[in-house]
Amino acid sequence: MIYEVSVGDRRVRVDLAGDGRFLIDDAVVAVDTTEIVRGRQWSVRIAGRSHEVTLLTLDPMRLLVDGHEMEASALDERAAAAARGTSAARGGRHEVRAPMPGLLKTVHVAEGDLVERDAPLMTLEAMKMENELLAPARGRVVRLAVGAGTKVEGGAMLAVLEEAE
Amino acid sequence: MRVIRACRELGIRAVAVYSDVDRDALHVRLADEAYPIGPASPRESYLAIPKILEVARRAKCDAVHPGYGFLSENAEFADAVRDAGLVFVGPPGDVQRRLGEKTQARRLAREAGVPVAEGTLEPLQGLDHARREAERIGYPVMLKAAGGGGGKGMRAVASVGELDAAWRLASGEAAGAFGSAALFVEKLIEHARHVEMQILADAHGGIVWLGERDCSIQRRHQKLIEESPAPSVDDALRERLGDAAVRIARAAGYQNAGTAEFLVDTRGGFSFLEVNTRLQVEHPVTELVTGLDLVALQLRIAAGEPLPFTQNDVRRRGAAIECRITAEDVGRGFIPATGRIALLREPAGPGVRVDSGLFAGLTVTSDYDPLLMKLIAHGSDRAEALARARRAVRETIVAGLPTSLAFHSYVLEEPDFVAGRYDTGYVAAHWPPRTPTTLDESATTAAALVAVLATRGRVTRRPVASPDGAWARSGREEALR
Repeated sequence: MIYEVSVGDRRVRVDLAGDGRFLIDDAVVAVDTTEIVRGRQWSVRIAGRSHEVTLLTLDPMRLLVDGHEMEASALDERAAAAARGTSAARGGRHEVRAPMPGLLKTVHVAEGDLVERDAPLMTLEAMKMENELLAPARGRVVRLAVGAGTKVEGGAMLAVLEEAE
Repeated sequence: MRVIRACRELGIRAVAVYSDVDRDALHVRLADEAYPIGPASPRESYLAIPKILEVARRAKCDAVHPGYGFLSENAEFADAVRDAGLVFVGPPGDVQRRLGEKTQARRLAREAGVPVAEGTLEPLQGLDHARREAERIGYPVMLKAAGGGGGKGMRAVASVGELDAAWRLASGEAAGAFGSAALFVEKLIEHARHVEMQILADAHGGIVWLGERDCSIQRRHQKLIEESPAPSVDDALRERLGDAAVRIARAAGYQNAGTAEFLVDTRGGFSFLEVNTRLQVEHPVTELVTGLDLVALQLRIAAGEPLPFTQNDVRRRGAAIECRITAEDVGRGFIPATGRIALLREPAGPGVRVDSGLFAGLTVTSDYDPLLMKLIAHGSDRAEALARARRAVRETIVAGLPTSLAFHSYVLEEPDFVAGRYDTGYVAAHWPPRTPTTLDESATTAAALVAVLATRGRVTRRPVASPDGAWARSGREEALR
């Protein structure tokens, strides 16, 4: 199976051949790998160099490589091709999401309201601070997903705004 | 945890309280006794004074240590503990009240002959009053909660246009955190360093200062790195800061451990900010430099013992630096992160201390502060302390959720920080780094291989038919959390 892999800003092609060989950008590399913690941590020796690689988080993938934290991804060729085909998000419609987990303290707008760009929509209390969530554009609030006093997770959808002329 | 450790060493029985989400916490397991006091919401558990006192009564405690957060600076709690016939390990309620209201503390410092930043010495009457005062002392200014400190209810205001919004947010936060929306205004000192002085005072009038800590590396007014000695403080300034802290403590009738916070400007002048009437999170820095156990001393002072040493006996040796490892996504503006600790390796070795309640399997929630672990390094000088801190951070592994380790790793090698050139604007000026981390060929290859192994482990939910080496073994993995 061939994978398109990114590590930081590097892109490489990794081929795990059926016979157990490992090719990187079509060149065979001799590696000695042990899985230290199942699915989490590997010790990798390459020509005597010893590397310890830990999977910190899966989505997005972050690896700790000899103490350096790196963003990474690995897509098999088919998935990579599919990913290139996805189109950009629909314009004119903005989803306001919680930038962090917290308590939605106040909602300053109602459904149907027309708001200016940067108008305060809601106040989210998190990290000992109150954070105002501002309108990403001038538009109409077409949906409020949660009310004041609700505890929300990071990334939770809070409101939908439709851009107005 | 820290308090339990001191109790153990002194042969004192330790009783812990916990909220429902902390049932598995290390402090519950290591205490001699532990009692539940309610649900996760602090108001119903860690801030519920009657529940805590009930546990103390039932467990026949002699004294209550309030820790660093929650009720540690709550005068009512100190009073309630005393009224219940127990010893409060910290300054008495009236002392906390004297220093807890920040404009009153500013007046007290000024009367003690300590420089105070220009601003109001009384709480503001309203937005108009704030506008007039800000105009008088000149922008930029800080709007701050009069009812408490710790970076809550605090906003920098660059110009009159920002005042309205800052007023609204700061007073709302202040009301939530301290039960009082009162604010005061003070001149914002640019390029200042946040330097604080640790003191200890006994019940017999004995007061000593132990040394300063620079806590300028902050985001959202919350500290990320602290060190002692402060790179900007020489022996003469240290003496002056120590003297100022002792004078404030004496004027307040202070008892137990406390910290006077100052801003030090670029010309070596300083002004008083506030007193933290509790043990602080960063106290290990001072413990490593002085060789003292501050929690043990707190307990002895609370028991009525006089300080076992005088100012002249206090020795400071070498340098110490603390990294507060937090559950935050440092790549996305330090937003708090949650998750389950999948794998943990705490650092060890010469000159390294770890204060942590972490364990593999712990679920980190958004209920409380995002602090995960304190990593403190000590060396014979700053260079050695830094080298040990760098080495220790690189040894540390916390997998399963985003942490601040990448930030700490970067700062400990960043030339301005290494040279000791930094102030409270450091994080904004240096983070995120302009140049991304790069790996050499060999490390990149190792990482690419693991990226594939980890991905296969995730997407392949069925056993691989023909096991053919390490890669296939990992392919058998169930989906990872």
